[in-house]
Amino acid sequence: MQVKEDNYKEAIKRNLKGFLVVFALFALGNIHQFFIAESLSFFIKNLLWHVLGFSIFFFLLFFTDYKKVSFRALWYAYWILNFVLFIMLIFHKRWLNLGFLSLQPSEFVKFILLWLISLYLSREPSEVIPPKKLLKIFGLIALPLILIMPTDLDYAFIMGVMFFSWLLFIGVPKRIFILLFSGVLLFSFVFVPIAWQKLKPHQKGRIYGYLEPEKYAKTWGYQLNQSLIAIGSGGLTGQKFYKGWSTRLGYLPTKHTDLAFAVWAETWGLLGVSVFLALYGYLIYFGICVSQTTKDWFGKYLSLGVSLILLWQLFFNLGGCSGLLPMTSIPLPFLSYGGSITILVYILLYLLFNVAIKKYFFK
Amino acid sequence: MKNRAFVIQDLSKVKQKILKSEFWEKRVFWAKILLFFILAVLWGRFFYLQVIKHSYYVKKAKSRSVVTYTIKAPRGNIITADGVVVATNQAVFNLYIDVEGVKDKEDEVLYKLSKLLEEDFGILKERFYLLKKTSISRVLLKSDLRWDEVAKIMVRLYYLPGVSVEVESERYYPYGEAYFHLIGYVSKINREEYLKLKDKGYSVEDLIGKQGLEKVFEEELKGKNGYVEIERDAYGRLGRVIARTEPIAGNDLILTVDHNLQLTAYELLKGRGGAIVALSPSDGGILAMVSAPSVDPQKFIIGFTKEEWQAISSAKESPFLNKALRAYPPGSTYKVITALTALRKGVITNPSQSVFCPGYFNFGTRTFKCWEHRGHGTVGLIKAIAVSCDVYFYTLGTKLEVDDIASVSKEFGLGQKALGWPEEDAGLVPDRAWKRKRLKQDWFPGETVVLSIGQGYILTSPLQLAKLYMVIANGGYLYRPYIVKTIQKVDGTKIEFQPVLERKIEINSQHLEWIRQSLIEVVRSGTAKSAAVPGIIVAGKTGTAQVVSLSAKKKHLEHHAWFVSYAGKETPEIVSTIFVEHGGSGGGVAAPLARELYKVFFKISAPPNQALEEEREEIPEVGENFTGEIANPLEEENAGERR
Repeated sequence: MQVKEDNYKEAIKRNLKGFLVVFALFALGNIHQFFIAESLSFFIKNLLWHVLGFSIFFFLLFFTDYKKVSFRALWYAYWILNFVLFIMLIFHKRWLNLGFLSLQPSEFVKFILLWLISLYLSREPSEVIPPKKLLKIFGLIALPLILIMPTDLDYAFIMGVMFFSWLLFIGVPKRIFILLFSGVLLFSFVFVPIAWQKLKPHQKGRIYGYLEPEKYAKTWGYQLNQSLIAIGSGGLTGQKFYKGWSTRLGYLPTKHTDLAFAVWAETWGLLGVSVFLALYGYLIYFGICVSQTTKDWFGKYLSLGVSLILLWQLFFNLGGCSGLLPMTSIPLPFLSYGGSITILVYILLYLLFNVAIKKYFFK
Repeated sequence: MKNRAFVIQDLSKVKQKILKSEFWEKRVFWAKILLFFILAVLWGRFFYLQVIKHSYYVKKAKSRSVVTYTIKAPRGNIITADGVVVATNQAVFNLYIDVEGVKDKEDEVLYKLSKLLEEDFGILKERFYLLKKTSISRVLLKSDLRWDEVAKIMVRLYYLPGVSVEVESERYYPYGEAYFHLIGYVSKINREEYLKLKDKGYSVEDLIGKQGLEKVFEEELKGKNGYVEIERDAYGRLGRVIARTEPIAGNDLILTVDHNLQLTAYELLKGRGGAIVALSPSDGGILAMVSAPSVDPQKFIIGFTKEEWQAISSAKESPFLNKALRAYPPGSTYKVITALTALRKGVITNPSQSVFCPGYFNFGTRTFKCWEHRGHGTVGLIKAIAVSCDVYFYTLGTKLEVDDIASVSKEFGLGQKALGWPEEDAGLVPDRAWKRKRLKQDWFPGETVVLSIGQGYILTSPLQLAKLYMVIANGGYLYRPYIVKTIQKVDGTKIEFQPVLERKIEINSQHLEWIRQSLIEVVRSGTAKSAAVPGIIVAGKTGTAQVVSLSAKKKHLEHHAWFVSYAGKETPEIVSTIFVEHGGSGGGVAAPLARELYKVFFKISAPPNQALEEEREEIPEVGENFTGEIANPLEEENAGERR
């Protein structure tokens, strides 16, 4: 027991930078929400989610072991989640309203899948995933994504990117990769023109708005145009608290959620953007390093997966609000308001840090 | 057992180590590359937006969320020589609607406003859409709001996107019609003026002087507009003021005008058409300049009703014209020019040289009548002017060359603008060259005969005649009439105008004496006995100009009545022209007005200001309330009951 306690100390000491970055992001996110919140209750609600997430994070971190999870439990959780998604698909809902709170179950697909696949693959780690296994994994991933797709096309697509890139790093046979790659290319050339005609006007509009935000400034490009103005007018050092025109005068829609980073950029300028990118980037880097140094394959897969999810989440959110990518309604961890995303982020961080500290217990 | 377990664990470790060194390091390396690549792309994108395109987006943000409005500069005051402010500004509340801010919510906002202002929704809507066409950023929906209207709107401003209430200065003319032609008026800048003046800081909403001093001294009076930048939120509501450049008020004008005299002159012309001009003979400063009928200049700001506008614009007395500056046939008042020419040319060497007036004058085949059909008998120069004998001047006309009369006329300032204002007529001094050029005809000697009594082609303005008599009054100093004595800047510095002496006319002192004597005789024993003021020497000349009706159908038009004179206790202190359009005879109509004017000038009778002021303030006359029966129905009822 004595030894174990020392190990804990050692574990925290070795990963101090990682913990500090999480703390910093936690603080930044809540301060940010405090300044954009129109009412105090809104801020407090967000803070409560973060505190809840943080408690879950610490509790699970020191009292559970990711490796001790049973395959059966994850397997049931996976099917229950699919069932919930299926029910929601029938009612064509994106949000699960439980009365006192509303959840976005699609967020939880990420960590369940991550955990499940990591466990499955780590049983027999290999340089490349055997095709048979790969097919099974594709099936595992495809099922929830197909269930999400009709209600939330963007999210399904982004999750596809997350898991596919993850599998690429774990190891996809070259032949299958080439096959898949050319298949995707062929698919996009053949299917995209057909799909384009099938797209709903608002989905087409998003593409128009993305391509020419200023031309469609009053309609499809409104959100992006306002976001670009907010970011651009932030300049080097930003407009400071309560000074930003876009934020204060109500020009930015979804300023608490999807466009929270545009507000951040307007308020703090490139300086603030750089600070956030540095902190968030370090967290991902930390995750990749955990994957590099940890000794078990379960941990390696898991921590890399967490890093990639965080990375894509960042890329699609920031890319969307800065006009690099079409605007998608994907939240940015820490800065965006939201219960589901906040809880998910802390669960993912639990998995990552659990891997990071557990490696000290093999000594 | 323990050993075996160790071995298995060890074996798996070995396997993992092999795997790690083979590929995982590589994969992790590529994951890091991907991370740094994405971070670099994102950072680069934000660098591009926030640094390179910063000024572009700031401009866009500003044009989206900040509206810039002009704060009109208060125009300079216009103050008379005796310190009465005759043109100033008053604060008013104006209701503006921002066209961009109210977009897509026009009906809703206008409906709410119609309830608040208790106006018809349809009318308000029509007004908004009409005004929208001529305004760029905002529409002045209603000016001069009442206090309660302001309060009602201000408390509901949150629900009225695009609506703002501004305190602005509005031109105010306390003495209205009496000063209309002198001061002129301001009204909204028109397209041509705007295109010409936009470089000088004019905005399309600006008012600009259109006539009189307001136009001539526009640059001084204008001042410099200020600007205010107000935030506009996404719903079109106007909020915080973020920048404000205060306007700079225009410069004040201090006039040579005597307020009492001006009001008296206007009162005298009430009910008639015509003009009164008074000059100071010592420097040419204008003491009064009035034209009648007049218009209330305030109406150009608050707006005419349809009926008022029709009545004014179709009136045959043309109230817009400043008749003091328009040219008319001078009639007998011109005879001094004929006399001066004759004296200068030696046609008259002695005032006792006489002509017999039988009441008519034969020239060639034509017969010219004297206004006095019975004839004046034997008349010399002094009597001829005093009684305005036409035959005497016809005789001079036969002995004089028209070009000589014309050159003397021009020397005395006739035929050219006296003030130089745009609405001024130069008048007309006919000579041989003019007739050949304009009418392609030679000058007939008979026309000189007509010219010598101030009829025919000759046209002079009331102001020009006053200027001419000023020279006689001051002994040859032809001053340029002027009206602005001082320009007083906002910072207190002053620009003083010095009188401009156009030329010193050499007049033989003997000749001058004879002319002056005869002008005094006009009032003492001649045609203008009604102009005499006890204790004051008044000298002048009447004129009754025949007006030829252009249309044969029109009934005979009354003559123009003139009286040009100067007056003073010892030396002349004031020169005036009284001109009554179609008024009748100069002696009968114009001369008595001069008398009243001089009485006020020399403080013999009270000016009409007091009465005017009372009328303006709407103070009920004391007599009405305190004499006669007190009509109180309640008391009477009570009395009845008691009975």
